[in-house]
Amino acid sequence: MVNFKLSEAGSVSLGIDGHIQLEEVLQRCATKAGLELGGYIAIRSRRVISSGTLIGNEDEIDVFPAISGG
Amino acid sequence: MFTILRINTATGETVREQSHAKEYVLGARTLSSRLVSREVVPTCDPLGRQNKLFFCNGALSGTVVSSANRLSIGGKSPLTGGIKESNAGGIVGTRMAEQGLRCISLEDAPARNAGWKIVVIGKDGVEFVDGEFLAGKGVYEKSDLLSERFGRKAGCITIGPAAEKLLLASGIACSDPHGVCSRYAGRGGLGAVMASKQVIAMVIRADGEVKPDYVDPEVFKAGSRRIIQLLKENPVSSAFTKYGTAAMVDICQALNVLPARNFTHGYMEGAEKINAQTMYDTIKERGGEGLTQHACMHPCAIQCSNVYPDKEGKLLCSPVEYETMALMGSNLCLNNLDTIAEMNRIANDAGVDTLDCGAAIGVAMEAGLAEFGDDKAAIGFMEEVRSLTPLGRIIGSGCKVAAKVLGVRHAPHVLGQAIPAYEPRGTKGMAMTYLSSPMGADHTFGFTLRDEENPTTKEGKVGLSKKFQVIGSRMDAMGMCNFVRYSVRNDMSPLLDLIKYLYDVEISADEFDEMVKETLRLEHQFNSDAGITGLDHRFAETFYEEVQPETGEVMDITDEECAEARRW
Repeated sequence: MVNFKLSEAGSVSLGIDGHIQLEEVLQRCATKAGLELGGYIAIRSRRVISSGTLIGNEDEIDVFPAISGG
Repeated sequence: MFTILRINTATGETVREQSHAKEYVLGARTLSSRLVSREVVPTCDPLGRQNKLFFCNGALSGTVVSSANRLSIGGKSPLTGGIKESNAGGIVGTRMAEQGLRCISLEDAPARNAGWKIVVIGKDGVEFVDGEFLAGKGVYEKSDLLSERFGRKAGCITIGPAAEKLLLASGIACSDPHGVCSRYAGRGGLGAVMASKQVIAMVIRADGEVKPDYVDPEVFKAGSRRIIQLLKENPVSSAFTKYGTAAMVDICQALNVLPARNFTHGYMEGAEKINAQTMYDTIKERGGEGLTQHACMHPCAIQCSNVYPDKEGKLLCSPVEYETMALMGSNLCLNNLDTIAEMNRIANDAGVDTLDCGAAIGVAMEAGLAEFGDDKAAIGFMEEVRSLTPLGRIIGSGCKVAAKVLGVRHAPHVLGQAIPAYEPRGTKGMAMTYLSSPMGADHTFGFTLRDEENPTTKEGKVGLSKKFQVIGSRMDAMGMCNFVRYSVRNDMSPLLDLIKYLYDVEISADEFDEMVKETLRLEHQFNSDAGITGLDHRFAETFYEEVQPETGEVMDITDEECAEARRW
């Protein structure tokens, strides 16, 4: 499950065989939601994960737009 | 040719000087920090006659380029004792450009009993107008009085009652596009520097007749449209437009770096009550004067600012930004947006920095003067600031002073300037940036958070912070809004091309970055000459000893690592 926070896309579920990298998961979820994926911060279990992190079926990931304060 | 208008506040003499130098082409922080380095005695009293206050617009100010009208204000900071560049949006930079000015310098200082003056700059010259009628009034009333007298289109700069009393956390307020002095160069106590020169307001009349003299207007317009196109193409920009900086609440909560309980925690229960979605929904529901999208300057394609309304739909505060929501919200365990907006409004009226005062209130709550989470007490602290009571003056002097007076060791600051809204033990990249900034703790100086694969480790953070020190400083260097970096990313050529089309001056990307680094070198050298040492670039000892519960981390950045992050 990928939760696109602060986005109209909301939550997107994806079935995965085994484990695949976060980058691919996000691209597939973004395509499914009709969303253009810009810079992002991805968080799993309150820890930041990177594009190469392996993701499984059981994972829930929060994705935030990579903005900054000002 | 670029013009600096020098105003002697003691004698009333004015001098216009001109220069072709590239530091004048870029203006903004590139110019203000060079002028401070060159002309201000580093060891001087920041509130004495040897300090100067430089107001610099940027390279593309006064043109049709989006988000190009930031105003950089530079001088020696009474808060940090070092160099300061603090910048704000609004219309003052545009009005300066229309008067053919790149920089206005307030110099010298009159006798303490000289009375308040308003400096009025127009096409016919500079006047000193009696400003006693503004004395003691809040910034909103001052703003109205200035508008009545000089018109809503004038570019006004003023200070609040806190600055009049030389409080260290006082800022400088600049006119927004509606003529309200609500855009703050808040950090570093520069309001007190302006007050020390007995200048209670400065007005740049809307009668300027200087227009951009483009080398090739059509090419320039096409280049300008390209910046807007790049902004719109970036999905991150659209999130900014809808939610503004408030989007950081959820991000920081998820990363355990949302400051809470005087920076002892990085997580606050109930943070969703003050997050971007709640703010967006509240503004929409209340309607009236509320706006989820608002431009702090014209033109701006991002429009990340907002107007927060009260329950009747009347303007309560504009803008309410993430840093304030954290320092005056989560850091005090407050989860009510109305409370935060009310505190923000009082801070704007008193003319003080919301970050330094929010941090000082956190210290006061830790000292037991009120309970964390007590909305009424928090607003009461701000009312004390506005009323200039003894406690209010302590709060209005920032968290370092408050901690000393109130006996609190856990004082969240670097060089006396309050830590912004990212708990440093949970993000070592931001911690490195706070520690190594010549301005004191400053998030915009090198915003690493979104690029930290592992925020809690210090490994690689010297390099990461330095990378973003350059990226962040690029926008300040030419007076662009920090968020334009989302359009150009790492390629400055669309902006540098615009400079070429406007002035016929070529600045390569490498040359530009070298100027940015030279600015950093000069700023650090000024601080060193002012007596600031590596030992000052530390957090309070408690950050090194006490674990942040949510991450299990303590501060572990060494003096040597910090020194490396300051080396250019």
